[in-house]
Amino acid sequence: MGSKSMLKYLLRRFIFLLVTYIVATTIVFILPRAIPGNPLAQLLSNLSRVAQANPEAIRAAERNLMEEFGLGKPLYIQYIEFIGKALRGDLGTSITYYPRKVIDLIIPVIPWTLALLLPATIVAWILGNSLGAWAAYRRNTWIDKGVLTASLILSQIPYYWLGMIFIFFFGVKLNWLPVQGAYSQGTIPSLSWSFFIDVAKHYILPFLSIVVSAMGGWAIGMRLMVIYELGSDYAMFSEYLGMKDRRIFRYVFRNSLLPQITGLALSLGGALGGALITEIVFNYPGTGYLLFRALTTLDYPLIQGIFVILIASIYIANFVVDFLYALIDPRIRIGQEA
Amino acid sequence: MFSAMIRPLFKNKKFIIGFSIFLLFLFLGIFGPVFYRVDPTEMTWDVEQPPSLTHPLGTDTYGRDILAQLLHGIRSSLYIGFLAAIISLVIGTIIGSFSAVKGGIVDDTLMALTNIVLTTPSILIAILIASYLKVRSIEMVAVILGLFQWPWFARAIRAQLMSVMSREYVYLSVMAGYSDLRLVIEDLIPTIATYAFMSFVLFINGGIMGEAGLSLIGLGPTQGISLGLMLQWAVLMEAVRRGLWWWFVPPGVAIVALTSSLLVISTAMDEVFNPRLREE
Repeated sequence: MGSKSMLKYLLRRFIFLLVTYIVATTIVFILPRAIPGNPLAQLLSNLSRVAQANPEAIRAAERNLMEEFGLGKPLYIQYIEFIGKALRGDLGTSITYYPRKVIDLIIPVIPWTLALLLPATIVAWILGNSLGAWAAYRRNTWIDKGVLTASLILSQIPYYWLGMIFIFFFGVKLNWLPVQGAYSQGTIPSLSWSFFIDVAKHYILPFLSIVVSAMGGWAIGMRLMVIYELGSDYAMFSEYLGMKDRRIFRYVFRNSLLPQITGLALSLGGALGGALITEIVFNYPGTGYLLFRALTTLDYPLIQGIFVILIASIYIANFVVDFLYALIDPRIRIGQEA
Repeated sequence: MFSAMIRPLFKNKKFIIGFSIFLLFLFLGIFGPVFYRVDPTEMTWDVEQPPSLTHPLGTDTYGRDILAQLLHGIRSSLYIGFLAAIISLVIGTIIGSFSAVKGGIVDDTLMALTNIVLTTPSILIAILIASYLKVRSIEMVAVILGLFQWPWFARAIRAQLMSVMSREYVYLSVMAGYSDLRLVIEDLIPTIATYAFMSFVLFINGGIMGEAGLSLIGLGPTQGISLGLMLQWAVLMEAVRRGLWWWFVPPGVAIVALTSSLLVISTAMDEVFNPRLREE
């Protein structure tokens, strides 16, 4: 075994991700064309309604739109062009922010979303798994019951609603922390210490709301996994051999953690969905907030563009996690089904 | 067989607690609007009132009664949850069992599809589809949500059926010349009934959560009242920053109580049907 099987495994994962990405972009392509009540027509009529304001720009946008959607051309040519452009990162021109390119609107907001989502997801994962393992270790004690009950409820609290409660409690009632945006209005982003502190203050509540609501799910999963593992042959055998509980538990913990890593990859998608809505509640200037503005103005090129980017980033995250997983667990590399 | 399945459940404390909470909300959703006969959409001049005797849960910016909205909201959220769950269950069962029974290329194709849907975040696709529909009925929202939450279930069903398929009584049925459909319905489906029921409960949970998320970004039902729509209005009208807690706390509590009770029910079922997890 070794690097060759690893390469083969990674290649297979990569091909799967590429196919998935093309399928996802295809959905983005098909939907506006398949759903009755052609959104494009609606869009054009929306445009002409505001045309009095700036007829020149609107006409240009119209021409652009016709060209971008390639409406005159046969469908398969439109499709090939669309996929080709998407793979190269060309996502068309925004309507609301005409003539800015969609990609130029998305790129500046991505760091905000990543800075919020990635640390929050990882912290929640670590805290949740530790908590779950601890509960399983103290099985059937009040610690276990307390952790389980709290986790059950926490896991069912939507991220954004917890965000609202935090805003109300810590922001409005106690007035400890700012309740919206990523930094104070009027400040100009810079690399200064005071700006950093301002950003950190705005970061706490959205970050906490994601961590706290995501933790419970991990704890429940980890607790179950450890309990299953504790009943497995090797754990029983080690016990008969008279191995110390702590030592057995360490093995069990490691083996239980592995499935949780795959879970992390899958949950990134869901976490992103949750974070998008959290951003709206906090007016946090990330991808979710941009999507919200695109949705309210029916800026379809922008909506589609955000989707193509989001889906791509989820696949990349999946790929990275798969890679880490294969690195940790050699069983995955040999003879694993996709 | 059915009572043998149900009886041990009612000996499980967790199940009883979860089931009671769920029943309470089911009751509120079904009979609440019947007994509390206040129009949830009627606008009055009693604007943004905190809870009082005339309005037990206060009013919103348009003077609409929050309790009436909550009761109707619970009703439609449950309805969406059930509908989405049925759709997911049907799709998952069909794909999972076909994959297991047919094998070969059918299996490969269906599992590739399943994996693709599994990796693609369903809420994103749901948002995308919803954004193209100008008018969204409550049923339509349920369909959009139901269409994307089946993959993990389909995979589990497939795995379970594969193991069942190698048992003798299934061989006998195959030798007797049963059609695939008859094989699935008579021999295979009964073996996955408890798992399917557990999953159904989780699908309802997913439907309720999904509706709340979609509605919050303005892509929920275009008409009617739901828990998600209440939250959306609260966000739009800045209820949180203006401290109108009676507006956004009740729908959130209802969502958490409903979905937690469903989760407790399904974990309790897991414990009962999965002897390894049973508490000593």
